[in-house]
Amino acid sequence: MIRNRPRAVAILVAAVAACVAPLLLSDLTFFVQTVQAAIVVTGLALLMGYAGQASLGQGAFVAVGALTVAVGTTHWGLPPLLVLLLAPAVAAAFAAVVGIPLLRLQGHYLAFGTLALLLMVQTAMSSFDLLGGAYGISGIPAFGVGSWVAVGQLPYAYLALGCLGAVLLLSARIADSRFGRSMRALAGSETAAESAGVPVQRSKVAVFALSASYAGLAGAVGTFFTPYVSQDSFPATASFTYVIMAVVGGLGTMWGGVVGAVMVSALLQVLNTVSSQPGLPPTAAPIMQYATYGALLVLALLFMPRGIVPTLDSGLGRLRTRPQVGARA
Amino acid sequence: MNELITYLVSGVALGSSFALIGSGFVVVHRVTRVVNFAQGSLAIIGSMLSSSLLARHLPHFAGEAVAVALSGLVGLLVGLVAIGKRGTHPLNSLIITLGLSFLAAAVVILVWGQDPVSPPGLTGHTRLFGAEVEQQRLLVLGLTLLAFAGLAVFFSRTYLGKALTASASNPYAARLVGIDVRRMGLLAFAISGVLGGLAGVLIAPSNALSFYSDLPLALSGFAAAVFGGLVSPLRTLAGGLGLGVAGELTAGYLNGSYQTEVALLLMLVIMIARSSSFVPEEAK
Repeated sequence: MIRNRPRAVAILVAAVAACVAPLLLSDLTFFVQTVQAAIVVTGLALLMGYAGQASLGQGAFVAVGALTVAVGTTHWGLPPLLVLLLAPAVAAAFAAVVGIPLLRLQGHYLAFGTLALLLMVQTAMSSFDLLGGAYGISGIPAFGVGSWVAVGQLPYAYLALGCLGAVLLLSARIADSRFGRSMRALAGSETAAESAGVPVQRSKVAVFALSASYAGLAGAVGTFFTPYVSQDSFPATASFTYVIMAVVGGLGTMWGGVVGAVMVSALLQVLNTVSSQPGLPPTAAPIMQYATYGALLVLALLFMPRGIVPTLDSGLGRLRTRPQVGARA
Repeated sequence: MNELITYLVSGVALGSSFALIGSGFVVVHRVTRVVNFAQGSLAIIGSMLSSSLLARHLPHFAGEAVAVALSGLVGLLVGLVAIGKRGTHPLNSLIITLGLSFLAAAVVILVWGQDPVSPPGLTGHTRLFGAEVEQQRLLVLGLTLLAFAGLAVFFSRTYLGKALTASASNPYAARLVGIDVRRMGLLAFAISGVLGGLAGVLIAPSNALSFYSDLPLALSGFAAAVFGGLVSPLRTLAGGLGLGVAGELTAGYLNGSYQTEVALLLMLVIMIARSSSFVPEEAK
């Protein structure tokens, strides 16, 4: 209990700050996008950290969630709350179907396979009119429950926060469950996990679908906020950014996804402000963005391969246990 | 009939550039088990360098050769970062090279701007089996075949090539007989830089390249390399040519915008069909 006190305080402070921030900010686009990314990255950190599988195409599932909302509301006239709940389910079902063949791949193959999946989802979106075609889907109604309809940006900020809270709670429950332990065994050694009775293939598909459902939920929230969806909404760079956030924050931790998403988003926002200063050439923005992405990934993996949260954790742990050196070895 | 021949010939020409990039993946993966995501960026840097050098009135061939040599140096740098630190897991190295491809994009925009660049190449056309073909594309095909022949001879007939293969098949045993496995890995990265640069120098005159082309280039090259299980140069060549022909046939008879998707779908099918044979090798 004592070991967790600084962490509990930090979480409480962050939660309060996140709840107060929307009231103080004048434009909430950045806030909603950051929370949205945090939801996706929490799932990706589960997939990469616990199950040891890399996905370079997590945007595919964000797109499926977004399309569920866009098509559900504009074509079939479904109520917003229903499509919000449907989005993660549809994304998970899609991931389970494509995951059965795709997850027979490992390592590099899976990374490239998921990237190929994302590009194919993009093509499907631009080729079929139901999914947006050349013009995308606009005219998505505002979010609402019953007779209450969201006005302005503020409700979406809290909707996104609520979803993030739900996702984190669910992840915490899962990590401590029998399923969570079997996932961690998978990341260690598939052969060992299998011989201990873990259904390897089924567990991998399950965690893939779980991370996809988070991505789908984030896509749904983002679509109600924007309210527009087209194939350009989910570029490959965005999916790479999720990987960067997951790696920077720390794989296989509850909070790594949130920490990574907030830090990388904040850094990009600062860069945006700096590069739009008068006197700088128009190429300054892309140069800074690419250079930051690259430097972050390389430096994080070389010098902090476990990410910020685990590194901080073990650092604090070491400080606290210094009197009894060797106790934690 | 004439149409079909045109598609086949241009498909083979296109496919040879896939194969050339794929060979870069193969050389690095054979020796280090790392997939070098920056392979596409190496091609772009090669093409940009050659266009700058040719614009500075360096004669043809000399300009291209210097660009290819410099790309080899860049490949070596990529290797130093990706595998220079001991104990870096291959999957971590993949993400490091992804980061390096972002850095390369930043450098390319800084030095050459955002617009596509297309250095001068051969401009004429030749009739082949009754079909018009750009001479530049024939040059690509010829040099690709030469490069693959060179690789085959290098790996099977020279001491250095055999040392590379030895470090690939059993790093521990290679170390026992006095081969510096890490240095061999860096050498592989340098060779992949040369191959990537060569691909860029050859592709750019007929398809202009920009910082944005790294992903399509890397994906098509990886798709070709998948046919060879990421270790066999010869099957990579066959895979690249097959993908090129399949893509051109799709573009010709169905729809041009599905060209990439067909390549990606073929890649997925091959990967999944062969997945059981990948597993033991990846598990090491």
